[in-house]
Amino acid sequence: MKRAIAITTSFTRELFSGSEEVSSDGLFKFFGKIFRALSNIVYSLLGFGILILAWQIISKSSADGLPTPIATFQVLWELVKDPFYDYGPNDKGIGLQLGSSLARVFTGFFLGSLIAIPIGLLMGANAFCRKVFYPIVQILRPVSPLAWFPIGLVAFQSASKATIFIIVITSLWPTLINTAFGVASLPDDHKNVAKAFGFSKWKYLTKVLLPFSLPHIITGLRLSIGVAWLVIVAGEMLSGGMGIGFFVWDSWNALSLEKVISAILIIGFVGLLLDKGFSYLEKKVTFSV
Amino acid sequence: MSYLKIEDMEITFNSLKGSFTAVKNINLEIEKGQIVSIIGHSGCGKSTILNAISGMVFPKKGKVTLNEREIKGPGPDRGIVFQNYSLLPWLTVYQNIYEAVDAALASKPKAEKKELVEKYIKMVNLWEHREKHPKEISGGMKQRVAIARAFAIDPEVLLLDEPFGALDALTKASLHIELLKLWNLTQRSKTIVMVTHDIEEAVFLSDRIVVMNNGPAATIREIEEVHLPRPRNKIDTVNLPEYKSIRERLLSLLVEKVEIDESDFYKEKVA
Repeated sequence: MKRAIAITTSFTRELFSGSEEVSSDGLFKFFGKIFRALSNIVYSLLGFGILILAWQIISKSSADGLPTPIATFQVLWELVKDPFYDYGPNDKGIGLQLGSSLARVFTGFFLGSLIAIPIGLLMGANAFCRKVFYPIVQILRPVSPLAWFPIGLVAFQSASKATIFIIVITSLWPTLINTAFGVASLPDDHKNVAKAFGFSKWKYLTKVLLPFSLPHIITGLRLSIGVAWLVIVAGEMLSGGMGIGFFVWDSWNALSLEKVISAILIIGFVGLLLDKGFSYLEKKVTFSV
Repeated sequence: MSYLKIEDMEITFNSLKGSFTAVKNINLEIEKGQIVSIIGHSGCGKSTILNAISGMVFPKKGKVTLNEREIKGPGPDRGIVFQNYSLLPWLTVYQNIYEAVDAALASKPKAEKKELVEKYIKMVNLWEHREKHPKEISGGMKQRVAIARAFAIDPEVLLLDEPFGALDALTKASLHIELLKLWNLTQRSKTIVMVTHDIEEAVFLSDRIVVMNNGPAATIREIEEVHLPRPRNKIDTVNLPEYKSIRERLLSLLVEKVEIDESDFYKEKVA
């Protein structure tokens, strides 16, 4: 009986550890993985091919109202070739602009999370807090964070700080709601273990509540950083001065649609990286039952 | 004065549809070191009685006393093995037991607590699996972790809520033996109260069996004494005439019709 258990568990361990020994089975799986990765690349290339073709057709038929893909990629190359030059306040490299936007996004996101996670924990764990805070969340969540910009300006007397302020507001809602949901869905079984064995408040928080809700919290953070990255572009169009949003607006004023489209591509790529980073984290902390 | 005593207990639950009485008129006295099973159909309030002893639910009427002290809430003098193992999935086998020991025996030095955990992991033969997470081990192994966790806090009373219900017959049999071994290793000093719906399990393990009436507002139907000699084993014990007679007695109490007779067969109606 015990022997049978030992054999099955070692078998399952091999199945799930991604087999370190090279067996014919392992080799087969390895090539399977490579094949899947390659076919995914082919699919992506096909999609982008269709997009670029459509772009080419539209730009030709609009009598060059829209720049052609080739012209745009040349400008994009010029931008990324030397990303960190600094020729005064109105002429900085794309890398510096991106860096300034990312710094604002992360500052706002960090401060927002610092507020949202504890309130989310409270709302999830305590029915009183949930009833008190939930109506506020419902009213404020649908408001575009840009509407807070004037309040930020009054409060901080600085456009840059007001931009960070709207990112803080943006980052609140998804994190808060997911955290509260995660905590509220803690099964009674886990609570009973803590009760039966007399877990202290601290042990309950660190060994039961947080490990259970962490995957939900990270999901919230992932959604928050996504929305923050959306909002920063619009925010910097309002605030001006520096950043990728300002760069888009500045390029439009200079009538360079090539630069605008290049910026769109760069913004999309950075957004993708942010999302991938957080979904990696999400997988890391998710326990399986 | 008996060790664990339930006096005229009534437990009601409040729901949206109004209040619901789970059990009433429960009187039960349990001696120290006894193994007592509570048996009955689903929904007869077996688990409710166990939860009242554990301190998770409170009686509306009557009281539960342990060593003449009224039970006011959960405490480390009572260890619980839950129906569905209730291991924390993000902790390893070792950590699951350690965190419980650390919480229940907070005042002991760390080295002593670690020693305890290791001792009980070895006792249930899970030493090689101590670094695994619950998802990586079988149901039987999970239940052994849960039993080790309950024993490791060295409680006076062990409460088992349908502990072997989800296991196959072979695993169940070997865990019965393991439970009795652990009980023997602690000089049969621990009192065990177990909820089950398995008649043979109840007869094999217990000194006394509490048979419940059907709910709602379930009461105790009768209490059977089991005088089978210990140590018991799965071959000799089950062949004793007393084992068979108690099993049949319980069967007739719990199952209305033990046999199928001619009248149960489907007969074509003649129109």
